[in-house]
Amino acid sequence: MSAREIRLGDLTGRVVRDPDGRSVGRIEELCAEIAPREGGNDYEVVVFHVGAYGAFEALAGGRFAQHALKRAGKLVGYQRYEVPWDWLDFSDPEHPRLTRRRSELTSRTSS
Amino acid sequence: MGGLRLVHEVLDSQLVDRRKEKIGRVDALVLELRDGEPPCVAAILVGGAVRAERVGRWMVWLNRALRSLARARGDGVSRISFDAVRRIADTIEVDVDGESLPSGRLERWLAEKVVCRIPGARGEGKGHEQGQQQGEHVGDG
Amino acid sequence: MKKWLEVALGVVTGIGGFLEVGSIATSSQAGAEFGYRLAWVLLLGTASLAFLMEMTGRLAAVSHRSYVDLLREHFGIRFFLVPLVAVFLVSFLVLASEIGGVSVALQMATGVSLQWWAVLVAVAGWLLLWRGTFKVVEQGTAMLGLVAVAFAAGALKLHPQWGALGRALVPSSPAHDRARYWYLAVSILGASISPYLYLFYSAGAIEDHWTTEHLWTNRITAAFGNLFGGTLALAVLVVAALVFAPRRIRVDGYEQIALLLSTPLGRAGFVLFLATLFITCFGSTLEITLAIAYLLAQGFGWQWSENLKPGKDARFAVAYSVVLIAAVVPTAVGLQPLSLTNVSMVLSAASLPVTVLPLMVLMNDEDVMSTHANGWPSNLALAAIALLSLALFGAAIPLQILGGG
Repeated sequence: MSAREIRLGDLTGRVVRDPDGRSVGRIEELCAEIAPREGGNDYEVVVFHVGAYGAFEALAGGRFAQHALKRAGKLVGYQRYEVPWDWLDFSDPEHPRLTRRRSELTSRTSS
Repeated sequence: MGGLRLVHEVLDSQLVDRRKEKIGRVDALVLELRDGEPPCVAAILVGGAVRAERVGRWMVWLNRALRSLARARGDGVSRISFDAVRRIADTIEVDVDGESLPSGRLERWLAEKVVCRIPGARGEGKGHEQGQQQGEHVGDG
Repeated sequence: MKKWLEVALGVVTGIGGFLEVGSIATSSQAGAEFGYRLAWVLLLGTASLAFLMEMTGRLAAVSHRSYVDLLREHFGIRFFLVPLVAVFLVSFLVLASEIGGVSVALQMATGVSLQWWAVLVAVAGWLLLWRGTFKVVEQGTAMLGLVAVAFAAGALKLHPQWGALGRALVPSSPAHDRARYWYLAVSILGASISPYLYLFYSAGAIEDHWTTEHLWTNRITAAFGNLFGGTLALAVLVVAALVFAPRRIRVDGYEQIALLLSTPLGRAGFVLFLATLFITCFGSTLEITLAIAYLLAQGFGWQWSENLKPGKDARFAVAYSVVLIAAVVPTAVGLQPLSLTNVSMVLSAASLPVTVLPLMVLMNDEDVMSTHANGWPSNLALAAIALLSLALFGAAIPLQILGGG
């Protein structure tokens, strides 16, 4: 079992592509939960939030723009997907790939 | 969904040590990517060099230039294992001693060599603090 | 009973804090050149500031973090650098002009050159920050700042035409000198809505350990402090309109502004003016210095509090010390105080979007504000202020060139 270290900042903002190579959205947030381990408790990332910004994709790089576009919601075609950790392939961390079909994603519009 | 949101609730949050003193912010989070297992949150990084990397190459260059000008030792980055996190709320409490952290070197140097040489600098708090709400520590500011 | 005392002190701070070199300079120039006509701009600026202060105060009371804390936490280090640099530079210039204001007052009182006074002012200010607590800084200068009421007295003594003044509270456009008119409008807004004011207020809410129990204190302080403070700035404008405008005196320096109170109040007026200039500018010097130090400390997560001995928050203490000393330089090397003030006011206006726009996001975020997020009235006000800030951003530099005189 190999383990690699990576910074959170290297994952956020990355474009996630589906098996056909089309963009699904950008990694916005990582949700972690406590998992009991032998040496103590670990926080494990269980869900990735991937945000699709529609026509305003170009603006979606920075956090300020993300916040603003989320508020604009449906207007800008914003959608957020909750992607379980095992649906993503990080063998190339700069280009995360979805291992399932896009249609299997549960879509959740922003609150 | 009761998960801990790493970007929203952890990154850039204020860190507070054992003695409830502010020791910087979470400048980066180190994740461990493992085959066949969920990524795990390994450590918190604190330090100007790490902040600079998030901003861009020019900032990294500036940071290095300033450090060599000041003849600072090492890279001034503290790595705090995520196991040390005790509480995540308005601030993140970690069970470390701020005095031992590399990222605290500037604070300690300034306190010793500059500030404490000037009269009136030593001691706990100035004057009296009245009406504390919820036992808030003066040092929390 | 104690709550009411707190509220009263907060209101007094607002009064004492509102009038400072920027308001005095811009209001007197506006009154001298356009009579009452720019009064509506003061009203707009005062109302905007009241809303911004209420919001940044509420932000701090509910989330237990200051506005600067949240700018870093919510938007990340990359975005944060933008307001950090903008507010730092603009506030530094305003600070330099406040030190200029104190020095000018001392020069007029004693005849000794203001360049020497600048250094002494910095030393005195530094001592107060080093040894004093937050309450001393906040309330001491505020109480003394009540001397600014002299302007209200002066205005009343000159029997202003209330009808004309009332009409001037409605926005209007001038028949002549449009560029100059709008330039003065922008500088009045820059003086009224200086970012350091609501940033300092937010940090102060944390220094004073505000919680959700202080929300009404916050509202009253923001509303009445600015109401009274704005009234004093209006009084300056009225006095200038009645003393300078008829004589077609155009204001070129603080020495002329000093004459403002001599007409209605005689020799005592001159002394009161000097006292007002000295006290209000000195108070602002301390506030802005702290505001800049808070900006750095909170943004980078240092230990900070004006209530801690400097040994406990070394980076914070060194930051305010260095900033204060550096801000003496413009006055000490002989830059004209009034020109410095005018430029810093315009830049202050231009910098507004970077601290107003993020507020729109934060005040509506339930994670931050829980049940105290903005209702539609506050959002409407904030949206209007945001639009105003964008207009100022676009217009400020061109107007400085066209109307800066």
